[in-house]
Amino acid sequence: MTNSNEKQNYQLTDADFKQINRRSLFLFQSGWNYERMQNTGYLYLILPQLRKIYGDDTPELKQAMKTHVQFFNTSNFFNTIITGIDLALEEKQGAESLDAVAGIKAGLLGPFAAIGDSLFAALVPTIFGTIAANMAINGNPTGVFIWVLANIFIMVFRWKQLKFAYKEGVNLVTTMQNQMSALTDAATILGVFMVGALVATMINVHIGWQPMLGKVPLDIQNTLDMLMPKILPAGIAGVIYWMLGKKNMTSTRAIFIVLIVSIALSALGIIAK
Amino acid sequence: MDISWWQILLLTLYAGYQILDELEINSSAGSAVFAGFITGVIMGDVKAGLLIGGSMQLTILGVGTFGGASRIDANSGTVLATAFSVAIGMKPEQAIAAIAVPVASLMIQTDILARFANTYFAHRIDKNIEDFNYSAINRNFLLGNLPWALSRMLPVFLALAFGGGLVTRVVNYLNTDLKWLGDGLAVAGAILPAVGFAILLRYLPVKKHFPYLVLGFTLTALLSTIFTNVQTLGTGLQGVAKGFTGAFNSLPMLAIALIGFGLAAISYKNSLANNNRPSGPSQDSSSANNDEGEIEDDEL
Repeated sequence: MTNSNEKQNYQLTDADFKQINRRSLFLFQSGWNYERMQNTGYLYLILPQLRKIYGDDTPELKQAMKTHVQFFNTSNFFNTIITGIDLALEEKQGAESLDAVAGIKAGLLGPFAAIGDSLFAALVPTIFGTIAANMAINGNPTGVFIWVLANIFIMVFRWKQLKFAYKEGVNLVTTMQNQMSALTDAATILGVFMVGALVATMINVHIGWQPMLGKVPLDIQNTLDMLMPKILPAGIAGVIYWMLGKKNMTSTRAIFIVLIVSIALSALGIIAK
Repeated sequence: MDISWWQILLLTLYAGYQILDELEINSSAGSAVFAGFITGVIMGDVKAGLLIGGSMQLTILGVGTFGGASRIDANSGTVLATAFSVAIGMKPEQAIAAIAVPVASLMIQTDILARFANTYFAHRIDKNIEDFNYSAINRNFLLGNLPWALSRMLPVFLALAFGGGLVTRVVNYLNTDLKWLGDGLAVAGAILPAVGFAILLRYLPVKKHFPYLVLGFTLTALLSTIFTNVQTLGTGLQGVAKGFTGAFNSLPMLAIALIGFGLAAISYKNSLANNNRPSGPSQDSSSANNDEGEIEDDEL
């Protein structure tokens, strides 16, 4: 198709960036689901641009859409940085870039999730929440508005980063072509490292069961801690990872199994929060 | 004093809006202290609203949404506690313990339901992609707002419409006969992020990079244990020894991310050095990694 060839050279305009930013600020996480989390949100943000890059009803467009509904979950304060780098690649190299795009998405989502959560889900609400709450308890609503004001500044920052990342992405493609695979690899290393860190901090359960040895209760959790702290979260994540590799296992099924087993183990007093 | 219909309407609408605000634009209109403020305005007692909202805000400080984990919904708790506190004339401090906290923890369940419901729309979008049905993709994505908003609006509406008696009965029942279920759901909520991490690991080249997984986990496990213990020790000592002061914080995740960044940078430099040694590599795939001695292919 000569038409689709022409469309492959589509260059993103400021109107495109505005559209993506609007969608990102107001609608990015509407489709959040347990199975692939922000996957549909990622696609929704750039669907109009994908259609312009690949052309409607082309096999390339289908391939791109399928790439973008794979698992994705990152900080909604940094998501358009990844989008910008991604679009720079796809705009220049078309469907050939989709493997690299999938790698970059997977590599960057972890670190940006961790940094974004630390900064914007923990630090900023802690600072401004404390100010607002302390003033509020004394009957003064000013702190509430200070927090809103701070968030407006953050929105500006969220709006600016897309174009910045896109430009950097274009540089990446043109000047660093040979280093792309090394960069993708480094990004995935960071991703894997951070998942290890998340497992150690975010799964907060312990063994509640203390069997009696004669008259002395055996503190199993303490014994495990002497072996290796956080070994229970690691075990849980490992079992679920193994389970997901089984035939006919979908993430929805895995979630239900985890739900039921957790409630059962908690009711039996084996695991506690 | 009863809650009039327009107050119920406004509070229900706010309950739906606040979760979407928190998900998307994040203006802090989805924070507990804002919820207290706005409910106070609607109910005509800003002071009570601010007191309840402020207290709830302090209760959940630092409880972020990490990796898509559900957390207690302090906002809906604040809305209901403020509304009933003003309407029935309950002391705000009492309403925090009797209504705000229990309701907030109960709402984890509706949050989980919303996240499950959206899986259905995600599957419809998979099908729409096959059919090149662009408007349906947009529609099914936007419909995801419904489960989110309803997960807050329905409980808040029912509670406001049927009164505080129902709320306390339900909460009491869940705290006595159904305590095992409530505890179980709390444990499940703590474990569910593990599913997200496992999915992420399935998606990342974990077999190739497993040393980094082990490093990330072990470093963080050790450091977080040390930080927590020092924090416990320091806080305990502060209570006993009067002259003893000091700040004890929990493990900063950014520090861990920087260690990971350092490791990634080392690997990047090594593979670049390997790339440059044999002059002019012809293919992208020739970037061999020094550490592991294997050829890399970016198949992911």
